[in-house]
Amino acid sequence: MTLTRSAIEAMAPDQGSLSAASALLKAAKWPVRAQAGALIWGECQGSGANPYRVVAETADIGSKCTCPSRKFPCKHALALMWMFVDDSATFEPGEIPAWVQDWMGRRRKGASAPATASAEPKSIALAQEETAKPADPAAEARKQASAAKRAQDTRKAVRAGLDDLDIWLADQLRGGLTVFVNEPGERCRRIAARLVDAKAGALAGRIDEMPSRLLALPTDERVDAVIMEFGKLVLLMRAWRATPDDPELRREVVSSETREDVLNNPEAPYVSATWEVLGERVSTRRDGLVSQATWLLQLDAQTPRFALLLDFFPASAGKRGAAFIAGDRFQAELVFYPASAPLRAVIASRSDAQGEHAWPAPPSNPLAAYAAFKLEAPWRIEAPLLLPQGRIAAEASGRAWWKAPSGAPLQLRTAPPPLALGADISKAAALWDGARLGMIAAQSNWGRIDFDA
Amino acid sequence: MRELDASLAQVRNAWIAGRSALESAPPAWREAVGEDELALIAIAAHAGDVLTQRGPGAALIDRPLLPQVNAPFMPEALRARFRRLLVRPKNQASLEQQLIAFTTARGYAAHPGDWLPDAKDEWAPDLYAPWLDWIRADARTVAPSEDDITAENYDQFSWTERRAALWALRATDPNMAREIIEARAAAEPAERRLRLIELLDNRLSEADREFLASLEKDRSDRVRARARTFLARLGHAGGTTALASELAEMVTLEKAGLINRRTRLRFAALKTPAQHQRRHELTQIVSLAELAAALGVTEMQLVELPEWQLDEAHAFVTMTAETGSDEVVRALLENLIRIREAPLGVLLPLTTRLTMEERTALAPSLIQLDGHTFEATLALVGDQLGGVPLSALTAAPSFGALGPNIEAAAGADDNQRRNAMGILEQVLPRIGLLLDNASATTLIAQITGWGLSPAEPLLDMLHFNAALIPETTP
Repeated sequence: MTLTRSAIEAMAPDQGSLSAASALLKAAKWPVRAQAGALIWGECQGSGANPYRVVAETADIGSKCTCPSRKFPCKHALALMWMFVDDSATFEPGEIPAWVQDWMGRRRKGASAPATASAEPKSIALAQEETAKPADPAAEARKQASAAKRAQDTRKAVRAGLDDLDIWLADQLRGGLTVFVNEPGERCRRIAARLVDAKAGALAGRIDEMPSRLLALPTDERVDAVIMEFGKLVLLMRAWRATPDDPELRREVVSSETREDVLNNPEAPYVSATWEVLGERVSTRRDGLVSQATWLLQLDAQTPRFALLLDFFPASAGKRGAAFIAGDRFQAELVFYPASAPLRAVIASRSDAQGEHAWPAPPSNPLAAYAAFKLEAPWRIEAPLLLPQGRIAAEASGRAWWKAPSGAPLQLRTAPPPLALGADISKAAALWDGARLGMIAAQSNWGRIDFDA
Repeated sequence: MRELDASLAQVRNAWIAGRSALESAPPAWREAVGEDELALIAIAAHAGDVLTQRGPGAALIDRPLLPQVNAPFMPEALRARFRRLLVRPKNQASLEQQLIAFTTARGYAAHPGDWLPDAKDEWAPDLYAPWLDWIRADARTVAPSEDDITAENYDQFSWTERRAALWALRATDPNMAREIIEARAAAEPAERRLRLIELLDNRLSEADREFLASLEKDRSDRVRARARTFLARLGHAGGTTALASELAEMVTLEKAGLINRRTRLRFAALKTPAQHQRRHELTQIVSLAELAAALGVTEMQLVELPEWQLDEAHAFVTMTAETGSDEVVRALLENLIRIREAPLGVLLPLTTRLTMEERTALAPSLIQLDGHTFEATLALVGDQLGGVPLSALTAAPSFGALGPNIEAAAGADDNQRRNAMGILEQVLPRIGLLLDNASATTLIAQITGWGLSPAEPLLDMLHFNAALIPETTP
């Protein structure tokens, strides 16, 4: 089968997909486009924080994309193939990257044809016309008015929900925390459901996840952990009541802005620098969403600066490939979500890193940096730290701890790889939550060490 | 800080019991929050978050730094592919051991970020002895010795290093190695004593006889049994004469061939399963020399026309491998290869008696006999991987099926495609482990010419082989 415009029309699930693909044909949306033999691949900056990785085989027109779309092929795969048909010279010949090989290993050949492609006529020409249509100012105005009304309704509903949360917290204290730690699941589920009704979806998700955070700790630490969780909720609620329009607090309580909102926000800080991918943390939440968190570290910075690319997609969409490989370095302009201590970001533009770069110098007392971070955002569950030179040591029982020449040891959340116990670590990046250290990556006498979540 | 800890403990106890904690809070906090219990929990939480940390419940053990190994690490660019290859493919056996052996044979070590031996990995090449010691926390009590191992500095070597050093010494100065083992083995526990005695396998000779005979008094059954098999290889079998006579009554000798009259040892059918069971047991106990004596023939005559169809025949091959002289072992191997019908797996005990050079030289002829997936060849070649020329592979009967399978894997028929992929998943990684560096490059070009994508992960091992140029640094 030859890849042609007609073939793309035929494989598109519907006209809407073609129209959406047409909007992705701008070169700026594709920091990477490459080919090797019959394989083409690229990275598309979609609506998520992490770029989508798209690969297609032109010989049998199989394709795969890391986006969560249920349509197959998705608009990104269609756009990649479309661009290749229009101008294959824009695809640089390249070495086949590991993620493409991974897809090759897992794909079932012959299974790539869409099972239920729409029978309605589909046309690339029509898609291009639709994309070129000018926006309707009247419709835009109606949309904005409607959004303002929705925001007002949401504030009212959330306020009522938080009042209920206040009562719920007081009830838990009155009932005794021992009772709560014995049955956190059901109790949290009830108030989380109430908060969902009250449109405080982000806060509901946080409370829904609280039991799993508690149960991951040994029994004797759970009461302290509950106090910490409850205290942070109180701080968050009171901060939101004081400034409900603050974008950071709205994000923590209601929902996040879209990528477009962040890019269009004049107060969102832009940082152009060389970044290293520290690692990725993927977890499935109780609400059926999978969170994909990619941690970045700014290289050559005077003081450590981290960035978090955070995406959510339904677990039912299946396993999703990593957006980056740990250790990747690139030059990028990141736009941070406005916050008192900005952390979450999206990539505005990205290119290959040039030259030599180094991790920044860690603070001599990382816990002081943590305390400073918590003064800015005391409701945050965890904060990234850059740790100075140290070692990882273990108790006879196997519990592992971070040990710096000065300061108290910090307990690791998960068992480190064996090499970490025998390495002289010069710098390490980790997430600290006040009780456990989630190591992400380290530089050592053996080079880079990656830690599993 | 102790005051804060005490206050937090009181506040916590109040909330645990369901009481108000306001009375237990420090005065400054109480003043700040008034009657607001939730404000108090916010302050307590923040204090607990940034001002207090739990310490370890037990002493922390500082491990020494992981030691270096005496080989260069594989090139950085190959590490990602190496890690991918280490992952066990679904529904297939892991190739970890072969991959590590292959990398070692090319002169490289794996980076410890990609692979470290497990404490139980006795198969790990000697190169990794320092890491095995580290993993096992087998710390020396004194500084490591820079000198060759002797009976005097024996304790300065860790257990893994000792074995590696003695094995190497055995190759260059077998008598010296034996003398060290003789002097120091008695103080080792039985399991380690056995492992030391097994080192004598390397260049076993008449000079070892006296020491081996002295082990008849060893406390361990396994050590005594191992010493007896070594003595048997040297032609000094003993102790199982009566059992050999019993076994001799359960087998027959025939003459075959019109001109060259040769002897065939037959394991004829017996009347009952119990008799078969007994014959099988005896074959595992009796030495080849004693069986030959009981039958009134030479050891060499017993292996002239070998059988392979029955379990007992397989056990006979093992008996020969364990207790036969070097000459008889090579003769049996040659005879089994010559008749071309014995499954290659039968040969495995015999090939372990060969030198590394002999195994490398044997690989091309074994490939010719491997009718299916090269699994047996891989086992028979052992650690001597990555040295087979393409010419040996292309002459193998099973190589002819490679092209059609690759075409079927890219074809339209689902069943054919599944079957072909199943075969390729087994065959291609094994070929990748067997071929030499230049042959791997040539074969990749040939295979991609047949229609398999260069990005196909089935080619990972071949790509790894092609990219891992043999390390020649002295």
